Amino acid sequence: MIRLERVCYRYEGSGAAVEDLSFEINRGEFAALLGENGAGKSTVAKLIDGLVKPASGTVTVAGLDTRKTKTSELAKRVGFLFQNPDRQICKNTVREELAFGLELRGLDRAAIDERVERTLRDFGFDGERGPFTLSRGERQRLALASIIAAEPEIMILDEPTTGLDYRECMRVMEAVKGLNENGATVLMICHDMEVVLDFARRALVLSKGRLIADGAARRIFRSACAMEKASLSPPQITQLSLRLGAGFEEADTVGELAEAIVKRRRAV
Amino acid sequence: MKGLLEYTEGNTFIHRMNPLVKLLLALCVCAAAFASDSLAFLAALLAIDLALGAAGGVFGKALRLLAGLLKAGLLLFVLQLLFFREGRPLFLFVTDEGALTAAKLALRFIAACMPLALMLGLTRTGDLTNALVKTAHVPYKYAFTLSAAIRFIPLFMSEMEGVMEAQASRGVDFDGGPLKKIRLALPLCVPLLMISVRKIDGSAVAAEARGFNLRGRASGYKDYPLGTADLPAAALCAALVALGIIT
Repeated sequence: MIRLERVCYRYEGSGAAVEDLSFEINRGEFAALLGENGAGKSTVAKLIDGLVKPASGTVTVAGLDTRKTKTSELAKRVGFLFQNPDRQICKNTVREELAFGLELRGLDRAAIDERVERTLRDFGFDGERGPFTLSRGERQRLALASIIAAEPEIMILDEPTTGLDYRECMRVMEAVKGLNENGATVLMICHDMEVVLDFARRALVLSKGRLIADGAARRIFRSACAMEKASLSPPQITQLSLRLGAGFEEADTVGELAEAIVKRRRAV
Repeated sequence: MKGLLEYTEGNTFIHRMNPLVKLLLALCVCAAAFASDSLAFLAALLAIDLALGAAGGVFGKALRLLAGLLKAGLLLFVLQLLFFREGRPLFLFVTDEGALTAAKLALRFIAACMPLALMLGLTRTGDLTNALVKTAHVPYKYAFTLSAAIRFIPLFMSEMEGVMEAQASRGVDFDGGPLKKIRLALPLCVPLLMISVRKIDGSAVAAEARGFNLRGRASGYKDYPLGTADLPAAALCAALVALGIIT
């Protein structure tokens, strides 16, 4: 679904943001892109969305070469949720905001109305409310809702939970999970390892524009070398289970840890 | 135009000049451009702008600035040609006086805008504010307003770029002629305005929290004495204005 082959990209007047990067994400996967600040995560997201074009190598998204395809064309298949929802919101009511992306895709009025009403119901928004009167978390959910309404095949999320409280964070992530369960491919940039553990199945770790680890999120969190190199800290439960050692290798959630402790006590 | 108004690090004599003298020089070039009616003098001012850019180690930036301003200058030139009717007809609706006036107007616009932009690129905003307060005795509130306005220009440009990226990723196609771009960019003023208002509000609260109102003229620790290059620069200012009035 998403394929990067030996991609290089550098910003004007600075070093390489992405260097010789290759990976592939298959249809229906939920992957997280991890790494310290300046590792090149957002650049990778922009490369996939066609917002920046690779200096060398190729980026293929849903069979389309991003170098030869306009971002507006890719937008028919790719949804991109930015960290700051205010950059996306540009209409005067929630209803208009939800309809905007659908109008750009050239859907007919009946289909637009049907999808807008469904999204309003699913997300519990008041369609007549002004988007800028919503709270930060609600605006983030509105930006997400307007993308989900367009039913993208691929969803890219650039730090979707930054600045949100736990409740809003979970509401945003549950909506993304629902989209993924309906078949969409999700690539999420996230600094919250608990969220990554809860939702992503695969993790790709970047450091200085290069891919240093790729695999199941749980396995990556247990790789001290990759985590340290990317200045990341595994979720607390994983850290605890790593300290506990043998018998706790599979314990990455509270439930799994409790189960492992019970097993150990029984064995003793 | 991105990055053209941002400060460029350096240690040239222009970087070391007194910020107020740099501001005065920029304003004098500007005044000379408006005072002069000579095409040759306006062209000379443009050459001086480029020379100042080269002396400040930002010749490439000055050329990019010139290229950006040339586009706006060209628009002014065409508009002037369209509406100026006096003089001997050259071809179609274009008259000799119209062409000369249009060329002067375009050159005047470019020659007047360039020094101010170059001054901003070669002077730290903080130094300009402090010098205005300490040496020119401008109340800090007003000097800060000026520096805040200057600081926000690149921020707004970067936000606008972000807003355009976000809209492009939603399917807005910005490719096309200038009219299409303007039509598509107009609704983007809403998010830009909201982001700007929030940012300015945040900055104002942060400044208050850090004791903005307590700052006085003596608060700045840096002094801005006149250096060796400042006196010749001041003389150049006077000469340019005088030549502008004469020509």
